[in-house]
Amino acid sequence: MKDDELREMAGLCVKCGTCRTVCTLYPQRKAEVAVARGKVAIIEGALSGENTDMESVQEALSDCLLCGRCERACPNQVLFEEIVMKGRADLAEEVGIPAWKRILFGKVMPSDPAMRVLRKAGAAAERVLLKKVPTGSGLHYRFPEGFGGGGRTVPRLPAKGFIESLGKDEAVSGDVMLFVGCVFDHLYPGVGRAAYETMTASGSPVAVFRDAACCGLPAMVSGDRRSAMENVESNLRRLREAAPREIVFPCGSCLLMFKRNVLSLVKEGSPLRGDAVFVAERSTDYASFLLSSGVLDRLPDPPAGERAGEIGYHDPCHLSGTLGKGPQAREVLSRTVGSAFAEMAGADLCCGYGGTFNVRDYPTSARIGENKVSAAARGGTKVISTACSGCVLQMRDMAARTDPSIRVVHIAELVRQALSGAGKSSPER
Amino acid sequence: MESAALADLGELLGDRLQTSLETRTCYSFDATRKKFLPDAVAFPVDAEEVQRIVQLANRHRFPVVPRGAGSGFSGGSLPVRGGVVLSTERMDRILAIDGENLYAVVEPGVVTETLKEEVRKIGLFYPPDPASLKFSTLGGNIAECAGGMCAVKYGVTRDYVLALEAVLGTGELVRTGVATMKGVVGYDLTRMLVGSEGTLGVITRATLRLVPHPESFTTLLALFSGNRQAAEAVNAIVAARVTPSAMELMDRTAIDCVRSMIPVELPEGTRSALLIEVDGAEAAVGREADLLAEACRSRGALEVRRASDERGRDELWKLRRSISPALRRVAPVKMNEDIVVPRSRLADMFDFLSGLAARKKVTIVNFGHAGDGNIHVNIMIPGTDADEYRRAEEAVEEVFRAAVEMGGTISGEHGVGIVKAPFMEMEVGPMGVSVMKRLKECFDPNGILNPGKIFPEESAVRR
Repeated sequence: MKDDELREMAGLCVKCGTCRTVCTLYPQRKAEVAVARGKVAIIEGALSGENTDMESVQEALSDCLLCGRCERACPNQVLFEEIVMKGRADLAEEVGIPAWKRILFGKVMPSDPAMRVLRKAGAAAERVLLKKVPTGSGLHYRFPEGFGGGGRTVPRLPAKGFIESLGKDEAVSGDVMLFVGCVFDHLYPGVGRAAYETMTASGSPVAVFRDAACCGLPAMVSGDRRSAMENVESNLRRLREAAPREIVFPCGSCLLMFKRNVLSLVKEGSPLRGDAVFVAERSTDYASFLLSSGVLDRLPDPPAGERAGEIGYHDPCHLSGTLGKGPQAREVLSRTVGSAFAEMAGADLCCGYGGTFNVRDYPTSARIGENKVSAAARGGTKVISTACSGCVLQMRDMAARTDPSIRVVHIAELVRQALSGAGKSSPER
Repeated sequence: MESAALADLGELLGDRLQTSLETRTCYSFDATRKKFLPDAVAFPVDAEEVQRIVQLANRHRFPVVPRGAGSGFSGGSLPVRGGVVLSTERMDRILAIDGENLYAVVEPGVVTETLKEEVRKIGLFYPPDPASLKFSTLGGNIAECAGGMCAVKYGVTRDYVLALEAVLGTGELVRTGVATMKGVVGYDLTRMLVGSEGTLGVITRATLRLVPHPESFTTLLALFSGNRQAAEAVNAIVAARVTPSAMELMDRTAIDCVRSMIPVELPEGTRSALLIEVDGAEAAVGREADLLAEACRSRGALEVRRASDERGRDELWKLRRSISPALRRVAPVKMNEDIVVPRSRLADMFDFLSGLAARKKVTIVNFGHAGDGNIHVNIMIPGTDADEYRRAEEAVEEVFRAAVEMGGTISGEHGVGIVKAPFMEMEVGPMGVSVMKRLKECFDPNGILNPGKIFPEESAVRR
């Protein structure tokens, strides 16, 4: 393994141990390999040539949720998230990554038609093969023990994705663009729809980025730089062409990809750099857009005292932590549901999803997630709202596992409900 | 290590014995940035397993190096001779908190802050507060006799250890001390083990003394035109018969360092600062804070700031807390020493340090726990120049010599480990070293536990 840039980044870590205090994985592993300084030491060992077993190093580096809590706590401001992603990418080039990931990230996710085929096949399969689990957030299907990681539930896949459901002339122009993301398009089209409808409530038109590729984050965190670049290039090119004033993301992880990660992927001097900066500067989170667009002024006054303290907000690691957008989401909630919103216990703890981590080690991912959801429930929270696709997926699964009466929603669903004035109809499932 | 030894350990511990290079790499370091690979890492869950590991070590003759969080500054947990790193991370239960008799019983892997938070819930206080308290473990704190800011009023870790259970180098289990305040039956083996850096026994259980949690706090930041004034203010405070719960001094080098990185508003001509905290009953705290402010003004303080609410106090602490991050941005590598001098010699020590920095052409940044005479002397090494490194090493030796000559010590709270082993005799003398060696012989005749630490000729590496 050779990477001078990585060596320099890793060299800033003095192994003080602060990362042990915040690591999401450490309480599960109770071993130094889980935490940032351990991973830095392993990378240093690989860079120095002391460790030549790159597959084992790759394995060690994949045991990380990339929640970034270490990075934010580090007194030396070492960029651990970046270091782990870079290490994974270097190793993927050296020893490769599993074929299924290459096909998924390189072939399926950049292509909207392929995603539709995959969703439809999944929808047919789950109805035939899996057991139904009704939950507060809609129907889920449960995998049998021994498949998909012991008791995992998945949402009922819809017949149509959000974008597919749009009329031909609907949401085609407007200088604000909605990047809905794979999950809120194909798995939870109701969230995509809620985001779209609430954004248009300002009165000005919103264009939906239709033939978007995946944001590229799943590929990037898996070290598949090439597939990540393919996705990013395709998106940047089309976004630059469309030249929106603002690009709005209902998902915090997609936003992180466009706001920060593209800038480390598309280096200075690259012909795409201008496009990357253009897009990064115009990318914003859903809550901030609502606050600046005046949508919230159209909301009726939230019902006073109704269901006080029942709705909590879960901080997505990337959105609240890395990008610092926790206050914006809370302001949206306060203005939308009033005193029904209250801080929930452990709001800023990672949900344990970690994208590919959830696939790699579902039992651990589930333990972290169950702890999260049950702590919130114990504190009296009945509805967990959030603003990231991974967190919604994970916490709906965790609610189905621990307490199916807990509803997990995207803040857009609550805003839409309030805008409709009814306050009674349940959010889109 | 021979394969038979690893096989026996594997049979005992199953997957709690790890030999992969990745895991060994993760247990090869501590906060000194030095690195020594162990042959294996063991994660025992109880005292019996620790005993069995040490018994196997005696049979196969491999070193056993106890390790808490690996956050030490003297190399105490580094496996300098290989062998097995014995991690206490899986022994992390608080076994009892006795609110009537004011003690807690813990396993060694409990993180210090975890205990502090738990006892706080019932109005109790475990005072020791090393800077690493959020991640360092009580076992490590005890083995190194960790100090902290509140030592000036509350003392250090050893003052809170009532009783211990430990596995000796022979694999035998010993229980020392009692859970009561008084107890004078036989030798004080508890104190013998505190600060022994894992060379005499592996601590498997500790009974720790608790005190009532103070009711309120007030923080003062006093700014001075020089170290001498600040050091004199420290003495004036002692003369006023007030005992602050923290008294941190930052000298010009530290203030300049912070200011070059972070905007801090300070009066013109600030060359030294004292951060003082008092705790206790609300009425008493207010009166004591008045006395402290008066003592600082009488020694020419340019300004005295004061806060009792959490936010205001936090603001005052910012200057002190910013030093370490700022230092790292000045130079990633530093020699971080923790000498102590009698309080009355603080001003002399600061004068000596500024003269030394000029003489050796090195940057030295000083700050520390002035209330107890403990100064953190940071000799910065900005480059990789060998000559620079040599001058820094020479400076360290002079600092140690000066500390001992002034009646102080070469280490207040970090311990000897490997980094101070070469200077050990300078302070304790040949007879002191000899008695310690005879004790080591008695606790650990085969030299199993943490070999290569503390004793000068045994130290495998020079700093």
